[in-house]
Amino acid sequence: MTRPHIEPFVELNESYKPFKIPGFIGAHYKVLSLDVDTGACSLKVRFDGGFKRKPGMSYSDMELFVLEGGMLVDKEYYGEGHYLFLPAGMAMGAIEVPQGCEAIVMYNDSEPTYEESDAHHQLALKESYVSLNSYEDAPWAGGSIVSPSVATGCMLKLLHFDPLTEAMTFLYCMTPQFMQDNISYHDCAEESYHIWGTSWMLQFGDLPTGGYFWRPPYINHGSFRSKLGCIALGRTDSKLHNYFHFNPWTNPDENRSRAAATLYRQKPQLFKWVNAGGHNHPHGPQGQLEHPTPPADFEHPDYTDNAQVKILNEQEYTFHEMDHLHGNYDPDAAHAKAHTHGHAHDHGEGSDHEH
Amino acid sequence: MTAEAAEWMEEEVKVQECRYKGIVEEIDALEPQREQWTEDFLNIIQTKGFNVTGDQRRKIPKKDIPKKPDRPDALRVIW
Repeated sequence: MTRPHIEPFVELNESYKPFKIPGFIGAHYKVLSLDVDTGACSLKVRFDGGFKRKPGMSYSDMELFVLEGGMLVDKEYYGEGHYLFLPAGMAMGAIEVPQGCEAIVMYNDSEPTYEESDAHHQLALKESYVSLNSYEDAPWAGGSIVSPSVATGCMLKLLHFDPLTEAMTFLYCMTPQFMQDNISYHDCAEESYHIWGTSWMLQFGDLPTGGYFWRPPYINHGSFRSKLGCIALGRTDSKLHNYFHFNPWTNPDENRSRAAATLYRQKPQLFKWVNAGGHNHPHGPQGQLEHPTPPADFEHPDYTDNAQVKILNEQEYTFHEMDHLHGNYDPDAAHAKAHTHGHAHDHGEGSDHEH
Repeated sequence: MTAEAAEWMEEEVKVQECRYKGIVEEIDALEPQREQWTEDFLNIIQTKGFNVTGDQRRKIPKKDIPKKPDRPDALRVIW
């Protein structure tokens, strides 16, 4: 397993512990969640006044969000609301904490590590570095940047976006009397720390100031309320898609199957290609396509009877019908490249063979 | 991984396991309230409507309201 489902956890009820890992001695921490395999973790860290550390780097991506007080990093002041994304291997300047600071600190790939260095590692992906004051230097955007979208009154500030996985780190807020009457789940893990205010979800009740959750994929959450409003730091570990429904009793297996059914309906060609193990040709003893079994959808159990879904899933795209019109096309080279797997099949033009 | 980090991990994994068990107990204790919240939710989606996307609502007919399944994990919310 990776990180367990921690929801809710109100860290304000817990005590800080002194760090004993080199590079962090003198700081105090609370673990919010921990990947039991890799050591990746989300921490709340207290740096007391007088804390100092020399320039250094970590072998993990690291994110930092200042909650209270501030710190000097290479003589630049990081005050409340400052957000930093520091890619693995990128050196962080010397830290100096004049009067104390509390921050959320996340190590995404491993346990907290530190190696003294004032130079970046040669493989560091420096272009993904982000440093800004999220309170002052980023605008609130409507939650509809994701669709299906949250209701009006939930806004966000995007702080970090990974172009490969579409993982996001963001501030979000709910206005007073925010309400959204649906149940949601996602393909991604979701994490949140309530900086201020209380929100409510049907499954878990109130999440107050200092409340935290790490929620693995496909777990129901919502409906949603916030009586007086709230502001929180949120993260996902990959693309966030809102799967909304109104069945309070589904489990993660049913939710995942329904998500796959959505893919079957909305991206049928991709679904088939993935389901075929990447073989871009018809399968079966006579060369016909073996249609993949449609995933179950608790909300629309008969969706495969829908005419449009049928049409979309009966379409075949091999992307090679017009190859002969391409001047530089070499069918032998293409054939050799396309078929590196080992099983019998039929090309449909009388050239059955085995690889 | 350094010896200090390995020791730290071992200790914190145990703490997290205890925390998880505590959360399960805490959330299970909310069951009577959650039953009421669920009933309220199923009423709201029939009267005000269910948020399909954004502020777009659709009223759910009574015949489409789901029934609580008879299975051990029906009331489980921590996974």
